Amino acid sequence: MDVIVQIIASGLTMGAMYAISTIGLALVYGSLNMLNMAHGALLALGGYVCYFAMAHLGLHPLIGLLGAMVVCGVAGLAIFLVAARPMLRAENFETRIFIATIGIGAIIENIVLRLFGPQPTPQPFNLSGAIVIGQVHVPNQNLLILGLALLLMAGLALLLQRTRLGRAIRATAQNREAAQLMGVRVSFVYAQVLALSGGLAAISGVMISSLSSLLPNMGGDPMLKAFIICVVAGLGNVYGAVAAAIVLGLLEAMAQYVLGVQYSFAILLLLVILVLIWRPFGLFGRRQVVRL
Amino acid sequence: MTALLQLDGISAGYGNQTVLREVSLAVADGGMTAIIGPNGHGKTTLLRAISGLMPLKAGRIVFDGHDIGGRRPDEIVAAGIIHVPQGDMLFPELTVLENLLMGAYLPQAAAESGRRLEEVFALLPKLRDRRAQIASTLSGGERRMVGIGRGLMAGGRLLMLDEPSLGLAPIVIDQIYEVVDELARSGRAVLVVEENAARVADKAVLMALLDNGRLVWSGAGAELMARPEILATYLGA
Repeated sequence: MDVIVQIIASGLTMGAMYAISTIGLALVYGSLNMLNMAHGALLALGGYVCYFAMAHLGLHPLIGLLGAMVVCGVAGLAIFLVAARPMLRAENFETRIFIATIGIGAIIENIVLRLFGPQPTPQPFNLSGAIVIGQVHVPNQNLLILGLALLLMAGLALLLQRTRLGRAIRATAQNREAAQLMGVRVSFVYAQVLALSGGLAAISGVMISSLSSLLPNMGGDPMLKAFIICVVAGLGNVYGAVAAAIVLGLLEAMAQYVLGVQYSFAILLLLVILVLIWRPFGLFGRRQVVRL
Repeated sequence: MTALLQLDGISAGYGNQTVLREVSLAVADGGMTAIIGPNGHGKTTLLRAISGLMPLKAGRIVFDGHDIGGRRPDEIVAAGIIHVPQGDMLFPELTVLENLLMGAYLPQAAAESGRRLEEVFALLPKLRDRRAQIASTLSGGERRMVGIGRGLMAGGRLLMLDEPSLGLAPIVIDQIYEVVDELARSGRAVLVVEENAARVADKAVLMALLDNGRLVWSGAGAELMARPEILATYLGA
């Protein structure tokens, strides 16, 4: 019984963390057909900004988190203005922006490395204490991550379904030209999507580093997993990505317990291969490329 | 009647290719103006140039006294030109109601959306029953109605319809044109692109014939139908 509680608790935490880092990626791909390869670097940037605000400036944790969101939001906006907008109408936009954001990611990562050094640094944004279920200790930090993930997903769903901006994002994703004919200023919508995904990346970076530690290249592994989750769910499908993230987190926790930690990533990849053989367009994807 | 939209020698095209050459045309402030001509001769390009989806290579577009050439599509919508594109271009994953409300996206239209929605439902009653349905599951005729209804939701002063009959069964075409005709007769300015001249000849106050990107003839519909040599040369009728 305790084992099951333990697996569910750590699986849900992992799934929630994956979900937070994935939704930003899925939102951007769903809206612009843009795989943002700098997303991982934004995770690291967000983690370090929060660390800097708390450890060096002595600010309140929430201000640290908020500051990280603002900095990463601005970074996301800058990626749109500098890289995405100039090539939006170009042929092969998807390939070009993919390559461009790899470069931007490397720049951000190296700036972080230069400023903070290569040594692992603990993330001060961390709740202490734990609650005990049976024999199992569930750290409060894990509960915070889970709660935050649920809050963010609900917030994003509300934004997409209920607000004017959300309707514009969905309409633009489904037919850019038609959205323009409705009076939507498409570049404004895209700019807001990139800023939003930057803010989400910051939260994700702070949460991930709170469970392990800060490293300039800490974004690489979560971004790889986020990509895998996006592909499994169907690229650009935000709600599918959330579901896939939670399921994969639980499966990973189970694989770790049954087979050992070293196999969990291999199992994850095996699952992806199986899913893609069965449904090449992803679990929730459609043949027709329509998403939000 | 004074001109609502004045095209002054406009040229447009894709890349190096010029599709539309020095077209000049005045669209009246009320009633139907029809652009006819064979497929692939610049009719759609003309509408796309007016709505700002395609940049002008030359010429001026004056709408309601303002030069709107070179403005962004969203600015042109805000100025009052509504473009219902060819093949509807609905938002496939949104419901009929969400599609219609996207038509009233701009603030000035959003403020009127409740009243306009009732008008659209009165004109196209089928949409009221279908409002919760996802757009991609509609029939071709219903999609066309959503496309037109979405355009009407924006308000605007000029409604541009790109081939409202395209791909529909004859009986559905009649229904759609009944609606278009009703709009034109109520005094709304409607600019229609149509391949079949006979379908609009008795309704349009002005018909303009585009051939190979040039305006080759314009005049009243009855006049065109009395000129078999033009019909034979350009429209193969």
